[in-house]
Formats: sequence, structure tokens, C-alpha cells
Amino acid sequence: MSITRRKLLGSAAAATAVSAGLLPLPSLAQRRGGTLVIASSQVPRHLNPAVQSGIATGVPGTQIFASPLKFDGDWNPQPYLAESWETAPDGLSVTLNLVKNATFHDGQPVTSEDVAFSIGVIRDNHPFKSMFAPVERVDTPDPHTAIIRLSQPHPALLLALSSALCVIIPKHVYGDGQDLKTHPANSAPVGSGPFKLVEFKPGEQIRLKRYDGFFIEGRPYLDEIVIRIIKDPSALLIAMENGDADMYPYMASSQQIKRLGKAEHLAITDRGYAAIGPINWLAFNTAKPPLDDKRVRQAIGYATDRNFITKALMRGFAKPQRSPIIESSPFFNPKIPAYDLDLDKANALLDEAGHKRGSDGMRFSLTCDYIPGPAEQQKSVAEYLKSQLKKIGIDVQVRAAPDFPTWAKRVSTHDFDMTMDIVFNWGDPVIGVHRTYLSSNIKKGVIWSNTQSYANPKVDELLNAAAVETDFAKRKALYDQFQMIVGDDLPIYWINSLPYHTAYDRKIQNPPVSIWGPMQSMDDLSMG
Amino acid sequence: MDTVVYVARRLFYGLMLMFFVVVLNFVLIRLAPGDPAEVIAGEMGGTTQEILADIRATYGLDKPVATQLAIYLGQVAHGDLGKSFFFDQPVARLIGTRIGATILLVLTAQFLSILIGVVMGVFAARKPNGVVSALVAVFSTLGYALPVFWTGIMLIIVFASWLPIFPVEGMRSARLEGGGFVHVLDVLHHLVLPAVTLAIIFLAQYARLARTSMIEVLGADYIRTARAKGVPERRVVFHHALRNAVLPILTVAGLQFGNLISGALLVETVFNWPGMGTLAFDSILRRDYPTVMGILIIGAAMVVVANILTDLGYRLADPRIRTEGGRR
Amino acid sequence: MSELSRSAPERAASPAAEAWRMFRRNRPAMLGTAIFLSMLGVVIYGSLFGGDPFEIVWAPQTPPGEDGFVFGTDYLGRSLATGLLVGGAPTMAVGAAAAVLSIFIGVTIGALAGYYGGWVDNLLMRITEFFQVLPALLFAMVLVTLFSPSLVTISTAIGVVMWPQTARLTRAEFLKIRELEYVTAARAIGAGNGRIMWRVILPNALPPLIVSATLTVGVAILFEAGLSFLGLGDPNTMSWGMMIGANREYILDAWWPVTFPGLAIFLTVFSVSLIGDGLNDAFNPKLRER
Repeated sequence: MSITRRKLLGSAAAATAVSAGLLPLPSLAQRRGGTLVIASSQVPRHLNPAVQSGIATGVPGTQIFASPLKFDGDWNPQPYLAESWETAPDGLSVTLNLVKNATFHDGQPVTSEDVAFSIGVIRDNHPFKSMFAPVERVDTPDPHTAIIRLSQPHPALLLALSSALCVIIPKHVYGDGQDLKTHPANSAPVGSGPFKLVEFKPGEQIRLKRYDGFFIEGRPYLDEIVIRIIKDPSALLIAMENGDADMYPYMASSQQIKRLGKAEHLAITDRGYAAIGPINWLAFNTAKPPLDDKRVRQAIGYATDRNFITKALMRGFAKPQRSPIIESSPFFNPKIPAYDLDLDKANALLDEAGHKRGSDGMRFSLTCDYIPGPAEQQKSVAEYLKSQLKKIGIDVQVRAAPDFPTWAKRVSTHDFDMTMDIVFNWGDPVIGVHRTYLSSNIKKGVIWSNTQSYANPKVDELLNAAAVETDFAKRKALYDQFQMIVGDDLPIYWINSLPYHTAYDRKIQNPPVSIWGPMQSMDDLSMG
Repeated sequence: MDTVVYVARRLFYGLMLMFFVVVLNFVLIRLAPGDPAEVIAGEMGGTTQEILADIRATYGLDKPVATQLAIYLGQVAHGDLGKSFFFDQPVARLIGTRIGATILLVLTAQFLSILIGVVMGVFAARKPNGVVSALVAVFSTLGYALPVFWTGIMLIIVFASWLPIFPVEGMRSARLEGGGFVHVLDVLHHLVLPAVTLAIIFLAQYARLARTSMIEVLGADYIRTARAKGVPERRVVFHHALRNAVLPILTVAGLQFGNLISGALLVETVFNWPGMGTLAFDSILRRDYPTVMGILIIGAAMVVVANILTDLGYRLADPRIRTEGGRR
Repeated sequence: MSELSRSAPERAASPAAEAWRMFRRNRPAMLGTAIFLSMLGVVIYGSLFGGDPFEIVWAPQTPPGEDGFVFGTDYLGRSLATGLLVGGAPTMAVGAAAAVLSIFIGVTIGALAGYYGGWVDNLLMRITEFFQVLPALLFAMVLVTLFSPSLVTISTAIGVVMWPQTARLTRAEFLKIRELEYVTAARAIGAGNGRIMWRVILPNALPPLIVSATLTVGVAILFEAGLSFLGLGDPNTMSWGMMIGANREYILDAWWPVTFPGLAIFLTVFSVSLIGDGLNDAFNPKLRER
């Protein structure tokens, strides 16, 4: 396990080439044909993941577009549009050897020009700046070879070349000079993935059809994928229960998981969410007294019972999470302080910080925001905190927001004391973790930046070093150290990983359980 | 000829109204706190200052409000409702994919409620003090007092688990084999519960109205004359009386159109009906102002058109008004 | 307004008494009054002694009647009884405030239009028409989101979208009454426009306006419930509509957290409209004959 992980994560040193023949064999009796109906509550803005992050665009986007690499369920890179790849010994270039028979849905061949174009587009337009920031240029010595030139070693590169993070878009369609963020073809995409778009009804339904010219022989198995957007959770459950829908990914509500788990024709899995690494946490505004004192933050940590939240509030479906790096990641450091429930210690810390209890038993009061929407991960926890922190003399005012933009505005302009939040790791710490802790990323007005105003020069130094360290062991050591420091500073109290589950009909073979789950090509999925 | 002039005048007033609708909404929305560029950037999944500036330029948000209004008015005049902040698509196209579903729902509900309401009203009016009349009175008050979204949810509870004969969500089955007619049936099947839910509120009002105006008409001299002449009661009721009693219902039906659209908004949300209502609701929560404005404008236009059509129908049904030529 | 109420019964002493007699004999109307008064009593009691409706008190989704919870608990384990007690006040308060506002605007505009006629009428009716073509709920939703939801903004939004009906009715009444003899007489003895409008015509136009006002309260309550159901209510105020909206996603597992608040709204609006019907019958001599 650790060896294969190392292969991925510290890949730069070892020049690894994987040939297409190493693909795992498909399971027996894969049937051709059929329609897969995916139920989803997430509404995509458009279908081009090159300029849009998120699950809603990622799931249909990865069926329509192919990426250079795929990942399996154990963090191993697998060939996709690139049949093999090679990282230079100095870590400053990666060569992709593309398959020769790949075509876009309009029949044009996929060439290295398209790869170079796509990486440039993503670097310049995608919100995850760190993915391709070190890319200086992409050379295209021939139509099937692309050489990515880097200004510094970039250990997250292979991951960034996979799945929704690096879809290859056709230059002859998107390279017409229009702004990519608002390009008309974002809603009428032309990709080279296993399925092509036949119908996009915004907020209602997306219908994809098998692309007969797909470059992997005999794939995909399915004739059609329909993504049905159902915003009402009970309607969604009904659709799954009576077989109107076959698969429901990204299900996080314990009530839903429990209910669908009882349906005999459905199977439930929590695999497929390793890369996304969704963490539910309580963030502190470290620039604002009394939360600028780390003892106060630690006291809140000791007063909060992570186990109660995951076991009672989330009915045991969610896993506790005590680190900025998702606990299923190879970079997770289990030595990070856990802040197990200890009210005496919490009270002592607050006393020590000089916050004496008033005549009403209260020391001070704080507001706590939460993301409006599904209550279980956010609102319920905020309300639990209100009752729990009362025990150590902190009066918590739970501040509701009528809608997401209102919440985002408060948090991004640092107009908060504490807030519940959900942030994704996105596979590699460079992509999804650094942004929260780097002091250079304190950017007012930008949500999911370092909105905690957390600044620690040592952390900056460690993260910047880890971003260019290609040796897995050395890189892990840097992250271990980083976790110990933020674990002590506690700019954020990490609570749990989101209990994402996929419910799917038992007649489905090869459900999406790679680290990217449903956000990767489902060409090997079949019905019955 | 008279009618043509009349229609032209109504259309002109309608356009004037629409102009003010556009201006008012634009000003209101621009007055609101919050930066749309941040909302858009947030939807893209995080942002930087450069992206913000980029978005402002793309959506024309960097220009003064008056300029933005002028540009917007010009666009609307050309049938362009601007571009959605959320979806990467023109608002007009978005509404285009949704408007059919809403019109189908609203017209079906309207038709159902008028039909059933009038029948109920007529039966009640035949014996104003009878049991049927009392039942209709009670039922119409009940229907009026039901929160439409709650009725919908109650129907979902009933039809989702206890009596699964109607689909409780959406407008189409995702998986459907067969030709065009199967699809029509499928849509009708999905239409039953939302249309009934929406019809219940309006049904109550039409029944009440039909009852009152039938009682009034049945007491009129010419009805007495007809009865005296020995015209069969059935013919008196359905031929002589109903024709006259329908006119006020028609008027109210036209005026109800705006309320129907409001009701449809809630019903669509409850049943995940892919119409303008769900789009409007989602867009409000996403702060997608161009789409919200577009729906307000189209919604208002629908009401204006419905009013003009009602007036026309009224003029055709009652020749006396044509000669008077005035407004009611 | 106080002047108005003093002069109205004076002038119409016997018709008012007659109407009250009619109303009292109207069994549905009295039933409506009884229901409404008990709902009002419950709501007043609830807002004084109801407790904290947001507090988590027991296991989530305890069915009604179990463990001492008459109405059960909701998806977070909050007592529905408390929610029902406390949640009525904002619904009713918003309903009443919105109705008062819409009647105030509607009567003012309708009275001016009907009394003065001519270009005033024309202009005011254009404005009325303008508000009538806006889809009311949608416009109210926009107003509420633009100016952040609170009881005040919600009442205002509902009031602002609901007045055209009242304005039209008032205008029609004023048009009718201003030509009557006693108005001409009042003018002849030198009464000013304001006096004629508010002290002579308005009291005589009151009966249909009262009926319409009653119905307006009902509609306003439904409106408030609709907005809260959609999640556009004040998030820090528990209301019946909000209870329905919040528990909606769990209806497959628990029917009661949605059913009871809906029944409460229904009963309130039902009682109000029974009263409205009763008043209508009582004020309308034509119907009295039957």
C-alpha cells in the first residue's frame, strides 16, 4: 500500500511508466447497454470542469471529457488519455505520451496541442491556482507527446492531471478567443470522454449518450447516463426507492443513508470519496479577540466532544477528523493532538487566559455562523456548540444566514467570530489544504481562502517546502510537522469527515469507488 | 375595427407597464447590498481579485448603474434578458426551457378549477338552501384556507407510500421506452398531483362565485319567463342561465392569473416541477439577479397578456361591452 | 382612525346592530369566531410562556403522544408543541401587520382615485395595475431577500404586494357613494374634501372594506407561511411555515412535524374566512333575504 502511494505522491524521482496493458481486468459478464439514472441534488452551472470546480460540474464533466490520467482506489495513477508518462529526474518536467486513437465527439483527433491548450486554460481560469501554478509551458514535440515544463518540482502534478482537475478540452472549439469562463461551449461541451452530451436542461436534467468513437475499445458499457436533479431530499429518496433512479452519490445525511440502506435492491458504500476529502470544521477568526488567544481556541477544542457529534448527531455514519489533512490520506499524522473532551482543562485554559466568569457564570459571548442548507453537518453542530460551550462559560449566539451568498459574504469579509464550514482536500494538500493556512492566502472577499487570518511563519515555511518536495517521505515529514503546529495553534477545530456515501442498485457492476468516485469516467460501469 | 383599436391600446398600455416593471426591478436589485461579482466568483468555486475584476467586466458590473440600466433596457427591447449569473447561459434561453412546464401546469389547474368549480356552483345554486349548497360552501372555504404547499406535501405523503399510483416528483420519467404518445401520457401522469394541488385553492373561489352568480341569474326575469314557458329545467340552467353566469367567472379567471403564477411557484417547488417557479426560487437563493429579473418580467408579461385575452374573451362573449367600448 | 371609529357607529348605529344580529345567528361565522379566538389565545399564551422552540429536548422524530410529547418532536428533537405555541405569533403578527399596511395603502389610493376621478384616478389606477401584474409572491420573495428577512421586511413585502385588490374595491365604493344625496348635501354645507372623504364616504363604504380586510388577513397569513416555508422567513424566528419547510425533507419518516403546523395555519385562515363570510352575509341585505 505505502509503496503504491509513494509511487503516486513522490513520483517525480522515479521515472515511472505504466502501460495500458496493466489496467485491471473488467469483472466477468459485463453487459452492454442500459441507462444509468443518477439522482443528484447538486446543480451544475455548466459542464466544463476546466473553469469550474465542484462536484456538480465534476460528475457530468468527467463523463464528457477525458483527462490525461485516472486514479484507482489506492491512490495509484492509471493511464487514460496518456498511455504512459515520465517525470524527469530533476522533477522539472513531465512527459505525457498520448494514446493515438482518441477523438473528440466531433470526430477531431485529440493531440498534444489540446493538452497544452487545456493546461493553460486551467492554469489561468480554474479557481485552484496551486494546481498548475508552477507550469511554465507545455511543449508539443509531436501530436502525441506533451512535455509539461515546471518552474519548480511539483509533487501534486500527477493528481492534478486526473479526473475533473484536468479535463482535456478541444482547442479548435474553445480556442476561438472568447473568455473561457463564459464560453458558450461550456454548456454545450465537446469532449473526448466515454459519453457525449445530448441534452442539458439547467437545474433539471442532463442526458449523456454513449460516444461510439471512444478511444478505449469496447467501452463504455452503458448506452446512456441521465443525471436527474432533484432538490427535495424526500423526492430523491422516493426516486431511489422505487427504482426511478439507480445511483445517488454524495449522500451525506445519516437519515438518508439509513433509509436507503434498508432498501433491498440497493447497496451502500462509502468508498469513492478519498480524494475529495471533505472536512466539516469549526473555524475561528484568529484576528479577533478573544479568539486571537490560542488558549481560548484550545479551550473550545477541549469543551467540544467530537465523538458525540459523530455518534449521536450524525448517527455513527460520520468519522471523526482531527487534522487539516483528511485521515484517509497518506499524509495524515495520527500524532496530532485530538483535544479529547476535558471540561476542566477547558475551564483552566480560559481562566489562565484571563477570562473570568461573570455573575451569570458567563465569561464572554461569541457568534457562530453556519452554511445554510442540509442541517445535520452544520446547523445541528452549531446548536450543539451553543449548549456545550455554555458549560465553560461561553455564550454562543448561533447566527443563521438566509442563503449561501449571505454566509459566504460574512465569512469572506472576516465578519464573524466562529463559523462552521465544509472544505474539501481535493486529493493533494497543495490543492486543498495549503489555501486555508498560508498567510499569503489571507484574502478578504475570497471564500475558502485563509479566512481565519491565521499567520504562522513556520507553517508558511513548511507548506512552501512541501509544495516542491518530490520525495514522498521527506514531504510527509514536512506535513507531519505542519499538522503538529496547526494542531497546537488550532485556527480551526476539525470535527469530522463528511459521511459521503453512494447508494446504487445492486444490478450495477463496477460502481465508482476509485479515489475520485463518481468524478471519474464510468466507462467500466455496467447494468446487470 | 373597434376591437383592433382596443387591442392596440391595451397592448400599448401593456408595454408601458412592462417598461416600468423593468425599471423598478432593475433599480431595486441594484440598490440591494452585496456584490454580484462575488456571488458569481463564489459559484465558480473560490476566487481571486483578478477573477473578480474579470467577472465585473464580463457582466458589465463595472459600469455606472444608469449605464447598466440603459444597456439592460436596450437588451430587453430586443428580447435579450441578459446572462444568468449562475448558469453560463442567456436568461431568455433558461426561461425558454422552463416556461412551457409552467404554462402547462397553470392552464391545467385553471381549466380544472373552472370546470369543477362551475359544476359545483351550478349544483349548489339549484337549491341554495340545500345540503349540496352547504357542502359546496364549506368545501370552498376549506379549499381557500389550505396552504397550497402543505396540501402538496400531504398529497406526497399519501401518494408516495400509501397509494403509489401517481409520481410525486418531476415532469418526466428519466427512463422511458416508446414513442411520442408514451411521453405525452408520462407528462400527464406527472401532472396530476401538482395540477390538482394548485386547482384546489382556485376551485374554491370559482365554486363560490359560480354559486352566487347562478343564484342571481336564476332569479332574473328572463329565467322566470323561460320557466313559465315550460322550458325544461336542465335547459334553463345550462343554456340560459349558465351563459350569463360565466361572464363574472371569466373576469375573475383573468384577474387570478397573477395569483396562479404565485401558487405555481410553491407547487413547483413542492413537486420538483421543472417550471419557472423552481427556477425563480433557486435563482433567488443563488442571488442570480438577471434570472430573477427575467422571470419577473416574463411573469408580468404573462399576466398582461392574460388580462388582454380575458378582456377580448369578455368582449366576444358579451356583445354589449363592444358598443360601450370602455373599460370596466 | 379613532375619529373614524367614533363616527361610524353613530351614523350607522342601527345597521351595525342589525349586522351583528345577523352575524350572531350565522353558525359558521360564530364557529369561525370561536376557532379564531382560541387560536389567538393559544398564540398569546405561547409567546408569553411557550419556552425556547429551538431547544433540543428529546430524541429526534419522537412520534406524537410518546414520551409525553403530545405533538412529538422534529428532526432535531425539538418539541413540536413548543414550536406550535411559539410559532403562531410571528405568523399572525405578520399577517395582521401586512393586512393593516395593505389596507392602509389600498384604501388611501382607492379613496383618492374614486373621489377625485379624472387624471388622479387615471394615474393611481395605472399604478395599481402595475402592482397587479407583478407576480405577488415572487416580488415579495425578491423584496425579502434584497432587504434581509425580518418580521418588518416580511410584513412590508407582503403589504406592498397585496393592496391593489383593496384599492380597486375602495375606488368602486367611492365612485358609487360620492354621487349619493348625503354627499352632495355635505358638500353644499361647505364640508371640505378631506372631511367628505374620510368622515362621510368612508364610513359608508366600510362594510365591504371590512369584509375584504378580513380576507386580506387570511391571505397575508398564507403568504407569510409560504415565504417561511421556502426558507425566506426570519431564520431566528420560529414560525409555522418555517416548521413545515424545515421538516419537509423528512416527511417519509415523520409526517407529524409537517402536518400539525399546516393544520394550525389552515385552522387560522379557515376561521378568518368564516368570519369574513359571516360579515359579508351580515352586511349584505340582498343575501339576508334568502
